[in-house]
Amino acid sequence: MRKIVIIVTAITSVVLFYFTIDAAVGVFRPDWQLPEESDKEPLSNRIVLITQELDTPFWDKVSSGAREQAEKGGANLEIWGSYGNNQKDFLKQIEIAIYSKVDGIIVQGLDTEEFTELTKVKASSYGIPIITVANDVPMDESLRRTYVGSNQYLAGKLIARQLIVDMGTSGEVVLLLDRRKEYYQEQRLAGIQDFVEGFPNVQIIEAEAGNSREEVMAKTKDLLNKYPNADAFIAVNANFAGDMIEEIERRSKVEPYYIYSFDDDSRSLTLLEQGKLDGIIEQSPKKMGEQSVELMMEWLTNETVPLNLEGYLTDIQMIKAMDVQ
Amino acid sequence: MSSIQKKIWVLAVVVLLIMATIWISLIYYNQKMQDQYNEILERYLVMNEVTSTSQQMVTALNNYLIDPTSDNYGVIDSNREQIQQMKADVIDLKHAENEFALTNYVNLMDSLIEAADRSLLSHPEGETENARNALTEATHISNYISEMTLTLIDTELKTYDRFYRGIIDQSEEIKQLGIWLLLLITFLLLLFTYWFSLRITQPVEKLTEAAGEISKGRFDLKVEVDSKDEIAFLAKTFDHMRININNLITEIQQKAQLEKELQQSKLLLRESQLRSLQSQINPHFLFNTLNTLSKKAYMEGSEETSDLLVSVAGLLRYNLKHLDKLMTLNDEMKVLHQYMDIQKARYTDRLTFHTSVDESCLDIQIPGLTLQPIVENAVIHAVEPNEDGGVIWFRIIDGEDRVIVEVEDDGPGMPEEKIKQIMAEQLDTTKGHATGIGLSNVVKRLRLFNGFDDVIQIESCFGRGTKVIIHILKERGVVQLDETTNRR
Repeated sequence: MRKIVIIVTAITSVVLFYFTIDAAVGVFRPDWQLPEESDKEPLSNRIVLITQELDTPFWDKVSSGAREQAEKGGANLEIWGSYGNNQKDFLKQIEIAIYSKVDGIIVQGLDTEEFTELTKVKASSYGIPIITVANDVPMDESLRRTYVGSNQYLAGKLIARQLIVDMGTSGEVVLLLDRRKEYYQEQRLAGIQDFVEGFPNVQIIEAEAGNSREEVMAKTKDLLNKYPNADAFIAVNANFAGDMIEEIERRSKVEPYYIYSFDDDSRSLTLLEQGKLDGIIEQSPKKMGEQSVELMMEWLTNETVPLNLEGYLTDIQMIKAMDVQ
Repeated sequence: MSSIQKKIWVLAVVVLLIMATIWISLIYYNQKMQDQYNEILERYLVMNEVTSTSQQMVTALNNYLIDPTSDNYGVIDSNREQIQQMKADVIDLKHAENEFALTNYVNLMDSLIEAADRSLLSHPEGETENARNALTEATHISNYISEMTLTLIDTELKTYDRFYRGIIDQSEEIKQLGIWLLLLITFLLLLFTYWFSLRITQPVEKLTEAAGEISKGRFDLKVEVDSKDEIAFLAKTFDHMRININNLITEIQQKAQLEKELQQSKLLLRESQLRSLQSQINPHFLFNTLNTLSKKAYMEGSEETSDLLVSVAGLLRYNLKHLDKLMTLNDEMKVLHQYMDIQKARYTDRLTFHTSVDESCLDIQIPGLTLQPIVENAVIHAVEPNEDGGVIWFRIIDGEDRVIVEVEDDGPGMPEEKIKQIMAEQLDTTKGHATGIGLSNVVKRLRLFNGFDDVIQIESCFGRGTKVIIHILKERGVVQLDETTNRR
């Protein structure tokens, strides 16, 4: 009996000791995860990539390319921007970047006065280099160092050529443009026009629409009424493609129409896979991200001065619906 | 310091130490937590201050542009000063996750000051338009600062999210520790208290037990207590007391024994004094008279009467002379025969006396007047009351280390109670005895003489007779005799 009592006592005390010490260790050796201390050195090579269209597949690719390159090149990169083509917010971001005296700004080009004012006057007064990416602005209006992205003129030509191949040398082609007439769209348009010039039987109808979904659909309806014989549609602003096709579908089948667009909208690829788009121009967003950061670093470290003002062009190619299917 | 007190002190100090340890560690932990909280709160406060100061600066600048007094200028100046100071504070808040944003933040503050300066520079030179523009810019920057403050605080919250969760987990763990600690301390204290109280109460219990034993009268158990405190001292003293009492009791017992024996010898003395008083008639006169009577009877031709008288005289002389002396068995036998002659003369045919004597034993020593009272007793009780008389057998048998003397009669027997009284030497049996010596007296003297109690046996059967057997050692127990003498 006495033995049992002693054994039970010993076991109880050992168990209690174990749990108490266990709990005490937990309490007095806290694993609070405080953020890592940074070295007090001021940051160098702070680069901001600013876009109007955050979280779209196209810009996600640009961002990831830029990030990878930043990691490699030792730059401190942040991706800023606005969602859904919010220009006001976009411009504010640029302004903040300038006032924050970042070392370099890589920005999606925007062909507006405010943008020009910001890049030309503010950025240069603060001595901040600007590289446009994906969408260019006219070189002489903005003091951008260079442009990294597709050759939009060539893209226009490519799409026109595909159109002629698919449709034949005669027909009515409707081009849906942005009312803001951004520089890259104008270049695309120029490319298309220059190519089609050689085919007099092909008639080009240019149409402009506002940026909202309703406006696009209204415009499409209007166009379909006005030109019942239209054979092809090209969404020069890729964002319009989805709404445009939706409106066409309401009226008739999509298949008879030749519809083309670009890949800088999130819906483009899906529509192509569904066969609703006949072809899109695929650009190289990842490459754009990489190269823009690389060039910015080269500029900042004075490796390449000056940068090629004409821009560094990335690959483009035509993807047809048949290739995807 | 006495030892029990020391033990209690030890208990108190141990409990105190445990409590102090727990208290100190909790205080330490609490302090640490508080420091962390304060640090984090400080960050928010600094950022918030930046926002408000930059807004104040813009307001002040606006006021100055409208009303360019030195007072207003002073306000701008002090605000600028504050912002410069805060820049240093803000840089201290830098960590890996907000490095970029924080650098931007600091630069925004710089830009604000620059814009303000530009505005101030343009103003006195009359370039109001430029000053206004710079003010607008400053306002924008101030707004950006506010926004960025919010963003930064938001980031901070995200960054410290894990930390907060850590703290919450920690408080849960503290709760658990508290429970475990409470259990452990309770358990240990119970154990300790049990052990501790045992150390105090066990000796007391032992002492109580010992006291109980002593109160019951057992003085031979040793009082043993193996602690080292006052109780042990008490136990030792108690043990001393026990030994002392034990000694005293032994002493008292011895004294009582002595007293008893003294009393007995006193009684014997008185008895003999009485006897000597009774026999105050001059024995020589009696002898001479008896002798004269004997001669007279002889001369008158009554030889029988003459012999009888000689026997009476002999018996009387023996009685007077040899009561306290050792005699041989032979002498005793002679006296016995003289006595029997007298009794035969009295009872004639009614008394039949048979003897069977082992002659070899007759040299043995024996207290005087031992046999005669026994035989006389038989005569008194067996022959005298019986009309038809009685038979008395007298035997002396050699029994190895002792001589056995048997006196048997065929009388009515002796009651059991009486035998016991005789054996206890209590009964006064002198009544009716010629020599005044009773059976009890014989027993006593034989016991003293032999040195042990088992000297006499009385076997009696109601209506069939009584047999008295006495044992006399051939070798007298010298040792026993010595002891007996000593006891006296």
